[in-house]
Amino acid sequence: MSLMWPFYPELLDVPVPRYTSFPTAAEFGTDVSAGDFTRAVESADRDVSLYVHIPFCEAICWYCGCNTGKANRSGRLASYLEALHREIALVGELLPATARVSRIAFGGGSPNAITPTDFVRLVVALTQSFALADPVISIELDPRTLSKIWVDALAGVGVTRASLGVQTFDPALQQAIGRVQPAELIERCTDWLREAGIGSLNFDLMYGLPGQDEPALRDTLAQAIAFEPDRIALFGYAHVPHLIPRQRRIDATVLPGTLARFRMAAVGQAELVGAGYAGIGFDHFALLGDPMAQAACSGRLHRNFQGFTDDAAPVLIGLGASAISSFPDLLIQNEKNSGRYRMMLSQDRLPAGPGIRRSAEDRRRGDIIERLLCHGRADLGHSLDPETAARLEPLIARRLVSVEGTYLVVTELGLPYSRVIAAAFDPYRHASSRRFSSAV
Amino acid sequence: MSACDNCSVREQAICQSLCQSDLDELSQIGRRHNIASGETLMWQGDKQMVVGNVIEGVLKLTASTADGRDQTLGIVYPSDFIGRPFGRKSSHSIVAVSDAKVCTFPRSAFDRFAEGHPDLEHKLLQRTLAELDRSRQWMVLLGRKSAAERLAAFLLDMADRLGSRDSNGQTRFELPFGRQDIADLLGLTIETVSRQITNLREDGVIATPDRRGIVVLDRDWLIDCAGE
Repeated sequence: MSLMWPFYPELLDVPVPRYTSFPTAAEFGTDVSAGDFTRAVESADRDVSLYVHIPFCEAICWYCGCNTGKANRSGRLASYLEALHREIALVGELLPATARVSRIAFGGGSPNAITPTDFVRLVVALTQSFALADPVISIELDPRTLSKIWVDALAGVGVTRASLGVQTFDPALQQAIGRVQPAELIERCTDWLREAGIGSLNFDLMYGLPGQDEPALRDTLAQAIAFEPDRIALFGYAHVPHLIPRQRRIDATVLPGTLARFRMAAVGQAELVGAGYAGIGFDHFALLGDPMAQAACSGRLHRNFQGFTDDAAPVLIGLGASAISSFPDLLIQNEKNSGRYRMMLSQDRLPAGPGIRRSAEDRRRGDIIERLLCHGRADLGHSLDPETAARLEPLIARRLVSVEGTYLVVTELGLPYSRVIAAAFDPYRHASSRRFSSAV
Repeated sequence: MSACDNCSVREQAICQSLCQSDLDELSQIGRRHNIASGETLMWQGDKQMVVGNVIEGVLKLTASTADGRDQTLGIVYPSDFIGRPFGRKSSHSIVAVSDAKVCTFPRSAFDRFAEGHPDLEHKLLQRTLAELDRSRQWMVLLGRKSAAERLAAFLLDMADRLGSRDSNGQTRFELPFGRQDIADLLGLTIETVSRQITNLREDGVIATPDRRGIVVLDRDWLIDCAGE
């Protein structure tokens, strides 16, 4: 029972990465460049997934850590899209005919900050440049700017998966994070998306918001469950105003403390599992019929930059400013600054770099971390190096993980410590660092 | 009387839903012209971009890749909207593959007009979705492995877009282009195209009553040949 999770603040107060990749983006350096990206794309010959980043929103929420800017000038948006079209054409030419693109994810920002016709134009360009036949398309949506014509575009394109940024149903909390969206709006969007053929609908929710308490979280969870989303992602709000200046608008004095956050994570787990959702990794939940739950059941769950996923493609190509591409032996990020991104593409230069080459040892450790986070167990194979063994020792002593033969297994008590356990395998983490959020 | 009044594709084209005053306004920025087979309406890299309606004839959209190959991105038929241009210069060329008549608008003027007319914006979305469908079909067609499947799928597409029923209730159309053009479009040799047409005729799937005419005798068989 998740409310029985033991509380170890000394473990939770150490910031740890979310491990959406290994090595993490904190390890990216400038010794890789567009040439590495070109060679990696040219040697992709199997399943490839695409991620398309639209770094714009109609309004910027105070809590958000995404790379996004206000879509307030249509000229800026148009020149970004022009660069994105150019990047699609250039990368499409590099990809061998033997590669097969079967998934496209649109994220941001809010992809629906562009016009629906511009969205369809992007899909046309992707179709031609990547010879797409019938890809699975998913998209992140801001309910506040979702219009009927946008939903018509989603239906026409054949988008089957969508994620709505719901965050909280509490009006006072919505005020406190600068994101006001009445429940009626979520209801209308949900109805539209279901009618448009969205088979897998996700709600993003948050705990640890300024002024949030357990009753407020329970109320939001109950309202969310009533809409029957296929998936729910319950993220802890990460307050890092030294990294994300827009968070300075949030009143830090009313932020829940570590124990309150820990209890909220437990409440979320208990309520959602009680409502019939399968726990996926440490912060996702899915109804049993959803592809994500099926992937989790059969050991095919993966972790990528968007969180947990049933996407098993070995190559993910990121398109757009700040998008990260992942290849078996390379992680590489596009130029983050959208002005420089546009400038490079206007000269037909690929905007890739910085990044990191993944050594065989990185891949081995990355596989263990992914298995631990996705499935709660990993085959460690040969004997452990002394440093990792030393980092695991206190976690084993607290019965958060156990050793079963060559396997390391996260116990029921250990679930909220998943990222801490994963970090034991991360040799790049030395002393405590302020670059990451805490584990719950 | 404006040129729109006797336009042959008006009932199917993007301007269909506009009221008379809006139509007159759009007509002011539109330009009708004839282009001969082989002529280019818009070049890849062009900064003067146009969008518009195909009134008669067939055009192809092509792009040259960095290594100099010409890739056909799709075919457009009467009443289709050519609306793909994005950015400051065109990413593709539009070339007439038969004698054609088009009604074009400078893209910037058209975009300004569309922004002020929500009805048209919705129509524009529908047309862009139709382009997406065509692109997908074209990609599926080019993805087919055998020459026989590709040619059969192409003939089916043309029968659907250009065909009319003859007195026997069979679909008949005039090939808008020669066999060399078909070969180029499908990435085949002219010998292969001729051989496949001969095979289809000898099997009784199609008839070729004259040099350009095609009659579909057995549509189900043609669908089978296309591997659909």
